[in-house]
Amino acid sequence: MSRNLVTAGVAAALFAGCSFEPEQPVLEHEPNAKAIAENVDLANSPTAQDQLAGALEMLFGTPEHPGYMRLESWIEEEYDPNQGSWNLSDEEFDALKASNRAAFAKQIAAIEAGDLDAVARPRYAPDLWRRYEALVAEAPDDLNATYADTEGTWRDELVYLFEGYYPSLTATAEFYRQQCNHCHGPSGGGDGSTAPYLNPRPRDYRPGIFKFTALANKARPRHGDLMRILEEGIYMTAMPSFRRFSDAQLHGLADYVELLAKRGETEILLALDYAADEGFGGLEKVQETYEFVLDRWEKAADNVIVYDGEVPAATPERLAAGQRLFLGAEGEGANCVSCHGPTGIGDGPSAREVDPETGLERYVKDEWGNEIRPRNLARGIYRFGRRPIDLYRRIYAGINGTPMPEHFGMQIIEADGSKRALDEDDIWNLVHYVRSLGERPLEVARHDTSGNEEHAEGH
Amino acid sequence: MSTLKTFLLRVAASLLFLAVPVLGVWTFVTAEANGWWFPLNVSSYGGEIDYLFDLILWMVAITFVLTEGALVWLVWRFSRPDSSRAVFSHGSHKLEMIWTAVPALLLVFIAFSQMEAWSKVKIAMPDGTRPDEPYTVEKPLAEVYASQFDWRFRYPDAEGNFEGADVVESAYDFYVPVNTKVLVRLRSRDVLHSFFIPQFRLKQDAVPGMEIPVWFKAEETGSYELICAELCGWGHYKMAGKIHVLPEDEYEAWLANARTALYSNGSED
Amino acid sequence: MSSSSLPTEPLGLAPSGTVHVSHDHHEIGFLKKYVFSTDHKMIGIQFLFTGLVTLLIGGLLAMGIRWQLAFPWTEMPVLGKLLFPETGGVATPEGYTMLFTMHGTVMVFFVIIPLLTGAFGNFLIPLQIGAPDMAFPRLNMLGYWWMWPGIILMFLAFGTEGGGPAAGWTAYPPLSTIESAAPGSLNGQTLWLLALTFSGVSSMMGAVNYVTTIVKMRAPGMTIMRMPLSIWGLLIAALLQLFALPVLTAASFMQIFDRVFDAGFFNAPDTLVNNMSPEVDLGTAAGGHPLLWQHLFWFYSHPAVYIMVLPAMGFVSDILATHARKPIFGYKPMVYSLAGIAGLGFIVWGHHMFMSGLNPKVSLVFMTATIMIALPSAVKVFNWLGTLWGARIQLTTPMLFAIGFVAMFIIGGLSGIWMASTPVDIYIHDTYIIVAHFHYVVFAGSVFAIFASIYHWFPKMFGRMMNDTLGKVHFFGTFVFTNGVFYMMHQLGLAGLMRRTADPYAYELYAHLQPLNQFISYCAFALLGWQVLFVFNLFHSMFFGKRVGRNPWRANSLEWSAPSPPGHGNFDHQLEVVRGAYEYGDPEAEEDHLPQAVRVS
Repeated sequence: MSRNLVTAGVAAALFAGCSFEPEQPVLEHEPNAKAIAENVDLANSPTAQDQLAGALEMLFGTPEHPGYMRLESWIEEEYDPNQGSWNLSDEEFDALKASNRAAFAKQIAAIEAGDLDAVARPRYAPDLWRRYEALVAEAPDDLNATYADTEGTWRDELVYLFEGYYPSLTATAEFYRQQCNHCHGPSGGGDGSTAPYLNPRPRDYRPGIFKFTALANKARPRHGDLMRILEEGIYMTAMPSFRRFSDAQLHGLADYVELLAKRGETEILLALDYAADEGFGGLEKVQETYEFVLDRWEKAADNVIVYDGEVPAATPERLAAGQRLFLGAEGEGANCVSCHGPTGIGDGPSAREVDPETGLERYVKDEWGNEIRPRNLARGIYRFGRRPIDLYRRIYAGINGTPMPEHFGMQIIEADGSKRALDEDDIWNLVHYVRSLGERPLEVARHDTSGNEEHAEGH
Repeated sequence: MSTLKTFLLRVAASLLFLAVPVLGVWTFVTAEANGWWFPLNVSSYGGEIDYLFDLILWMVAITFVLTEGALVWLVWRFSRPDSSRAVFSHGSHKLEMIWTAVPALLLVFIAFSQMEAWSKVKIAMPDGTRPDEPYTVEKPLAEVYASQFDWRFRYPDAEGNFEGADVVESAYDFYVPVNTKVLVRLRSRDVLHSFFIPQFRLKQDAVPGMEIPVWFKAEETGSYELICAELCGWGHYKMAGKIHVLPEDEYEAWLANARTALYSNGSED
Repeated sequence: MSSSSLPTEPLGLAPSGTVHVSHDHHEIGFLKKYVFSTDHKMIGIQFLFTGLVTLLIGGLLAMGIRWQLAFPWTEMPVLGKLLFPETGGVATPEGYTMLFTMHGTVMVFFVIIPLLTGAFGNFLIPLQIGAPDMAFPRLNMLGYWWMWPGIILMFLAFGTEGGGPAAGWTAYPPLSTIESAAPGSLNGQTLWLLALTFSGVSSMMGAVNYVTTIVKMRAPGMTIMRMPLSIWGLLIAALLQLFALPVLTAASFMQIFDRVFDAGFFNAPDTLVNNMSPEVDLGTAAGGHPLLWQHLFWFYSHPAVYIMVLPAMGFVSDILATHARKPIFGYKPMVYSLAGIAGLGFIVWGHHMFMSGLNPKVSLVFMTATIMIALPSAVKVFNWLGTLWGARIQLTTPMLFAIGFVAMFIIGGLSGIWMASTPVDIYIHDTYIIVAHFHYVVFAGSVFAIFASIYHWFPKMFGRMMNDTLGKVHFFGTFVFTNGVFYMMHQLGLAGLMRRTADPYAYELYAHLQPLNQFISYCAFALLGWQVLFVFNLFHSMFFGKRVGRNPWRANSLEWSAPSPPGHGNFDHQLEVVRGAYEYGDPEAEEDHLPQAVRVS
């Protein structure tokens, strides 16, 4: 008797379980402790900190419902950054449609065959599924009927739903929690649970500084720069290529990272501006800061570094010129040697400094406060692209947030005493010389790495 | 215990043990329809591996049904209440001889039937580095570098060198020509990884410090997932790649294009 | 006292309370009796309860794995809050690697081996061979207590920076040796290695004791070919430990040296892990090789698989014969096949390394040896079936579990042939079919045998019976859910699903396997929940079970001629063994069982 009861109980539990779908808890945004600590007034005022959090929620939403606050001018222009595809050009959108067709091939084939029961729920697109279910609920039996006031049929509309899918920020935030959160943290602070064990540490988006862009003038990254990181990964770091996910999902992630970065920047600026007597300066000031941050990102595209012409060949003359620049000390050359060392393995004297607190020598720190080692150029491993143009951009504009400076226009004195600024040709010479350092077989490179491997190296 | 209870217990126990072969076989019979079966093979030697799997499956299935069936029958037949004593037998030399010799022969047969396929996949290499079979000597198509948690595919420059400025490197996507014996050098930069392409029936660990030759010949164009099959750290599950099998001319075009793109001036970025 | 003066009546009729239990009457203090006991029975019971507690912990870790596979990245009930507080109960990727690493380690080193050899080895060996105690009682006690530092270090590893070890229970370098390779390879891995060493030394002490006791302390007339198969299983397992454990101990020390002193035994030159190069940190090029560890580890751990199953086979043989009321079929082939499995077990370790970069020609040798290991296993199965033929099967709880063992071992044994076949292994290596295979052997095999043994020898341990009805309910549920969990894993493996993958459904190939994984997880939760019946039965019966006499099962082996529970020194009369352990149903005899030490006039 008791056995039957137990059996029935277990069976009931099993059936109940089958329809059961546990939720992922949503972690709230965390305040930027470092930025708050830097402003004594703010650090001493929990009320102000709450106000700051409230302002940020107003401007950027919560992790559960992220979204930009729409300015009045935007509403007039019917511009809405929360409609994901705002970033894409027509060509990009066509490419996205092609990628969606591949990603949802099974669903689209089922719809085209008229077999709606066979349309499987895609795993990472909850918003798409909701919209699809809502549409299907209204759909007539005959999918060839004309849809609303369009020219197409219901079938076309259902296919288009999949084809033109671009994830909402809310759906992406959920995706971010699954794939990115454990390193980059809920607010993009680079402080997830896995983060402490990684070298280099995951990027903290909040200062809005991104190392790897194709841009000069320390500009904020473009959507395409973030997409490239998602697609290619950052080689020999814990950031892998995420190309396994569809283009739509990556676009969504790039948008969400952008939102987190803008949110972080606004937070830092507001925290900086806070004063005990004036507060945050009122809603107007907050909105001004918001617009300032957004505007800075808008302008990114003006800064792309493109070399006008063919990439010059690596002639012996260029290599020799590159070597002179590489080895030349400050004022005489590009002074690469001071950090990267004479053989390029990253053992130059300026790479290290005395820690003012401990009095011990250590590698210099980057803007995020992590020790950073100059790249070992002899390994031939470049974190973000090994094309000559990638190195050209690194040398031309420097690496944001690190001691690697901008070299274009750097003043040097030639042997004959004449002054000049480094130009594009000089940078190509350096590129070719640097590439020649990494071209040696790995075995050779290995044997002269004496004591220089990347300890807390930057990228 | 009452007679009824004893009877019910016998029935329940026998049915329970009977469910093992019945449901066991049923699961395998319906597996393919449920998608719980091998993904479609597209490599030249995958068919042989599938054949060997099926061969063993049949031998195993017959043994499984016979032994489990015998067990069920024995449990049912000899658990009935009986006042007489059990058969007083300490064994049978003859039976022991039979059930040692027959499985032994079968097992030796199984062992020998596996060797050819193994030698073809893992021992003989297209470049003759393991020259057990006459192959035309070919250069490796690419160097596959595994690292935490990324695959990098390095294609040699036009002269076939893997060191040099013109090496083409690809992250995640691995392009290979169809119907060609492709030899790759498998290497790891940090910890153990494993190069696993289910549809090719191919798996090989990547070991730091070793350079392991791996070959395959994909017979159908398409894109196939590359999976890391050896625990490589917390991001093991993120370590994915994709193999794109292209027609010969498309592959050549891709490679040529990739070599050109290496010297891009950045205008398309 | 000569044996002929003993009554020929079954001793089980005499209530244990009336029997003169102990040779000496001095009072033993609580601490000496229950904690620092040198009595093999108490040590056996200590191992039993320790093993059951660690089994529960290992089981809970398995539930964590199952939760993640059924519902990746969602809030894990109960365990999640405990293990992953900072993420609100969601498993972290490094936490998931820790879960399966610890599950495997705990189950192998702190559950199965202590339960089979520690608990039943200790309890049964002196009783079944007619000895008053182990040859080295103090060493025996030390062996038990030596396991505790292991357990403590293992669970301390959870709390270290970076969490528990996360390189799998196989701890393959360089993941395990290079600190920056994984969070768990910070101090967690060192603690893990130390724990393993402690547990190994504990097993070694046990093994020395078992072999010595079995060789030197058998009762008069107990020739080796009259020993119950349990003793044979334990003896051969102990010999395996004696030969194989030193290799593991040496290997763990080498890995500790790698980790603590950068010895570089297992690190290849030019590895760049997490941007820390061990070679450069060392200042010298490492001259080691990652495959060396795999050879050393599997040279122990493959025989360890047999350490985990040979005693189980012995217990099951005893239980089958007793409850079938029939002599074991083919006693000698049973003994030879145990020895055959053990012997072959030493030359098959390479089958774990078919895909590792091992010389593929050598793989062929390992393949042949591995396939041949199916032969003695098949002989054992046939002999078990032979035992049931013509028997008078009593469907008691231990018998059901023992038959369940045979049914499950057939599955585990047969699926092994695929793994042994090198070409097929290319596809199935490290997939879930491997997981299914070894769980059929170790869980559905060894754990079933452990349950059977607990039900069977419980009356001898505590002088009371376990509740049979509850036991049967426990059996039926356990059997059903076990198959629900592990049989379906074959299917996952055939579809190509990899082990140790925290979120398999991001792969297109695996996306459709989530419902199947959810089914498996439901079965797993039910399987663990079902064990409440067992735990209740165990503790309830310890205090309120029906009292029994010496021989409730009317069995032949010597332990049943001792009082239940046996007192200090085990036997209250002189034993002289006159026959083998399996004389059930002799048509000439008055009773259908003939105890080993009872002479029939």
